[in-house]
Amino acid sequence: MRHQFKIRALPLAAFVVFALLPPILQNSEFSYVIRLLGLVGLYMTVALGVNLVVGLLGLLDLGFMAFYAIGAYSMALLSMAGMSFWPALAAAMVIAMAFRALLGAPVLRLRGDYLAIVTLGFGEIARIILNNWDSVTNGPKGLSLLTNANVKPVRLFQWDISTNVDYYYLILMTVVVCVIVSERLKNSRIGRAWMAIREDETAARLTGIQITRMKMIGFVISAAFAGAAGAIFARWESFVTPESFTFWESVMLVAMVVIGGMGSVPGTLVGVGIVMLVPEILRNLLGTSLVSWRYFLFGVALVLVAVYRPQGLWPSRRLSRTTDAEEAAK
Amino acid sequence: MLNRARVVFVKSWVIFLAVGLIAACQPKVKTVKIAVGLPLTGDIASLGQGLRRAIEMAVAEHNAANPANPVELVSFDDRSDPKEAVSVANRIVADRSVVGVIGHFNSGCSIPASRVYAQNSLPMISPASSNPELTKQQLSPQWTYTKCVFRVNTTDNVQGSFGADFITQTLGMKKIAVIHDKTSYGQGVAEEFRNQVESRGSKIVAFEGLQVGDRDFRSLLTRVKALSPDALYFGGMFSEGGILVRQARDIGFKGAILLPEANYDEALLRVAGPAAEGAYVTFLGSPPELLDSAKDFVARYHERYPGVELKSYDHYGYETAQIFLDAIDAVGPDRQKVLTFIRNIKHDGVLGQTAFDEKGDTLNKTITLFQVKGGKFVPVPVTDKPKA
Amino acid sequence: MNLLANILEQLINGLTLGSIYALVALGYTMVYGILLMINFAHSEIFMLGAFAGCGVLALVPGLPWPIALALAFVLAMVACGFTAITIEKLAYKPLRKAPRLAPLISAIGVSIVLQNAMFLFHDDFLGFPSVLPLRRWEFGQFAVSSIQIIILVSSVSLMGALWLFVNHSRLGKAIRACSQDRDAAELMGIPVNRMISLTFFIGASLGAAAGILYSLYYGSIKYNMGFVPGMKAFTAAVLGGIGNIPGAMLGGLLLGVSESLGTAFLPQASWKDVFAFAILIIVLIVRPSGLLGERTAEKV
Repeated sequence: MRHQFKIRALPLAAFVVFALLPPILQNSEFSYVIRLLGLVGLYMTVALGVNLVVGLLGLLDLGFMAFYAIGAYSMALLSMAGMSFWPALAAAMVIAMAFRALLGAPVLRLRGDYLAIVTLGFGEIARIILNNWDSVTNGPKGLSLLTNANVKPVRLFQWDISTNVDYYYLILMTVVVCVIVSERLKNSRIGRAWMAIREDETAARLTGIQITRMKMIGFVISAAFAGAAGAIFARWESFVTPESFTFWESVMLVAMVVIGGMGSVPGTLVGVGIVMLVPEILRNLLGTSLVSWRYFLFGVALVLVAVYRPQGLWPSRRLSRTTDAEEAAK
Repeated sequence: MLNRARVVFVKSWVIFLAVGLIAACQPKVKTVKIAVGLPLTGDIASLGQGLRRAIEMAVAEHNAANPANPVELVSFDDRSDPKEAVSVANRIVADRSVVGVIGHFNSGCSIPASRVYAQNSLPMISPASSNPELTKQQLSPQWTYTKCVFRVNTTDNVQGSFGADFITQTLGMKKIAVIHDKTSYGQGVAEEFRNQVESRGSKIVAFEGLQVGDRDFRSLLTRVKALSPDALYFGGMFSEGGILVRQARDIGFKGAILLPEANYDEALLRVAGPAAEGAYVTFLGSPPELLDSAKDFVARYHERYPGVELKSYDHYGYETAQIFLDAIDAVGPDRQKVLTFIRNIKHDGVLGQTAFDEKGDTLNKTITLFQVKGGKFVPVPVTDKPKA
Repeated sequence: MNLLANILEQLINGLTLGSIYALVALGYTMVYGILLMINFAHSEIFMLGAFAGCGVLALVPGLPWPIALALAFVLAMVACGFTAITIEKLAYKPLRKAPRLAPLISAIGVSIVLQNAMFLFHDDFLGFPSVLPLRRWEFGQFAVSSIQIIILVSSVSLMGALWLFVNHSRLGKAIRACSQDRDAAELMGIPVNRMISLTFFIGASLGAAAGILYSLYYGSIKYNMGFVPGMKAFTAAVLGGIGNIPGAMLGGLLLGVSESLGTAFLPQASWKDVFAFAILIIVLIVRPSGLLGERTAEKV
């Protein structure tokens, strides 16, 4: 009982800390941290989606950013057509989910690493289409929501959402919702089915789990996370270009989930934090002349984490090989 | 075990973050700063680093001549990524001792970042962004912020006109093929060129895009060559431009080749090798060979950075830095005063004379045409004046 | 230019590019076959091979080109081979029993380290010494250049040598045994760790050779030159059936040719990668284990 209480206190404390940061930082020279944390929050949302597919289901997905891009472009195009934020957000999520289902239908029966290549291929296809289809997406010049008169401002009841601080809170709420949904899924029959598929697909099939259906559910729900994040990003930046959605970003998402701990929700959040904040912190520590060493050191850190803590920095409790009794004995 | 590990983990994170924050604290000394937002890593890092070197040289020279009023330079890397550029912009505006920002490089980065600078009335001068939208957006009714965005390089439409005039009138070519690199810059400059050529009556036989990062353009060039163009225009940077020129000659294309200002780079000569001979490149400014200030700049640059090549945009970076330094010397470290000074400036420097119109675009629309001869860029006198 | 000549010329372009992809793909497929891991850092080995070759050629300007080139190949291949072995020992070996994706993350980290190390050394393009005599042979309306012939011949020879080694030598048989069933091979007395090191060495040396050929063809090298070819070669390896050596060769050639023909005949050349990836997806839907991949019987 004491154990459970401790675990619940930590997320609550974290939430309170993050909720209080903007008023503290707003007028100091650290106000840019608000934007930085907002971006981190968006990536957390996406990474929670990746966690469903890569962490819980164990399917390597190398093209996840495509759905973030689809969400962003959908929101941009719908906003420019005059749709207001909340319906457009729902629509963007549905569109991302639809594309994911379309991709998933023929390919989910592929074995692990073949699926990885297909997701990579789809990610590249999406990026190239966004870059080439000038008549709709404006190609490399991107879509600017700023100079378009049709775009309606973002409002939630009486709250006008337009500054970095406003978006920070919107993203914070989104992350909380996604965390709750992820935890609920993980502890449900579906989540357990996913983990069973991850551990041993054949055995899972023999226990009656409908493999393809479970994979499809995970696939599609994860796209909703990415689509939502992309849609929010589009309104926040008021500018979408294909340059932000590269293969490398998809790779880093997988890295975030794995070094956090596969399947673990707090682990995913930690993984995102590390991958995004370490280069920032190194930028501060290294100063202007050594700033090019940032990514070199980051790579070294990544290797060290992978080698010395392969189970992740905050692994899921379900994964740990020791039982509670063995833990108590230590 | 798991709980203890978690406690240790959380503790080490707290320490790490604390160290990071402490390191981020600036000393509470009132310094005057110019900020720089450029791609210092990433695909075009060499151009960003070159700009940074030129800017650093300008600031160092200023501080040596004015030891009582030193200016500090703070550089940020935007990685050519638009969202990173906006993050950098947020970082820069938070520092009240910054009175001006030189940046960004890619139009895709400059445009979103400019909004942040304008919201905070921080003057921004771009040394390289050529998309007309960067300054034009200030005229739209949604732009409720300060008008403080400028650039020292002329825009795509001016360069496009010049190139079109040269190809259609001076060289008399009738069939022209255009290839671009599908980036905001490359496609933008290629589209302007195409529009200007078509309005002068010549025919664009091909308008194709290639992928940045690819190396093999033989198939593309073969396809284009089959349409028998007299001339080839490439909208893009020296990284692909060099390879394209080399492969075009390799497959036997003998027509004229014209490239925009991002190819005025010694690396182009290196990458293309002897195939570069005869290719034309435009430069946005008065001929450097004819300006004492420019020749001086090149000599001092090579002295300060021995063995380092001059990159395409180093002149523009130097000019931009000088404008800010002149402003700070004249009116002091006040964002508003610097802004007013820049709006009215008439600066003579390595690009010729720079002054800004009401949009923030440079009034210096002189373009110099270079041709590669004997492995070097040699200016070509062109009699027609550019029609702006 | 008539259609046939155009197709032939594009085909040669495609086969040349494809054979370079094939050489790199072999590195991915061999490592996957024996360790079931995707060696993300392989694209950086390709890049290192190019830089090593460049260094060697720059140091010996006086030698006649066949000797200089052979020297560059041998030194670069050996250097990269040993680099790969070191990487394996430091970053992958400790993770042999770890969850499946941990070595992947380690490989990603190694890739970042190598790329940025080279970035710190030189952030711009470096010209690759052009030592080959340039000649073009025109056959009617299409032409072939000497570099293309050299690349095709070199790649085919290297692939042939690998094929002979893997199928007709004792060490090759040992590697195949380790790929099939590592534990059984160990029980049979095969020194598995040494076989794994050998696999990495061979894969890396092929990648290095590909790097040199690529640089001879395109004339310049840069710290991030490995990224796109690496991604395409990995795609080719999977297309052919990951773990399958002739599959990697076939996948590479097929990918190169489809890129080339796509560039030539699609309404807009910039869609060529969409075309190539679409072919990939269709092939995998029809043949889920790749072109030559075996349908592995799943052990219950």
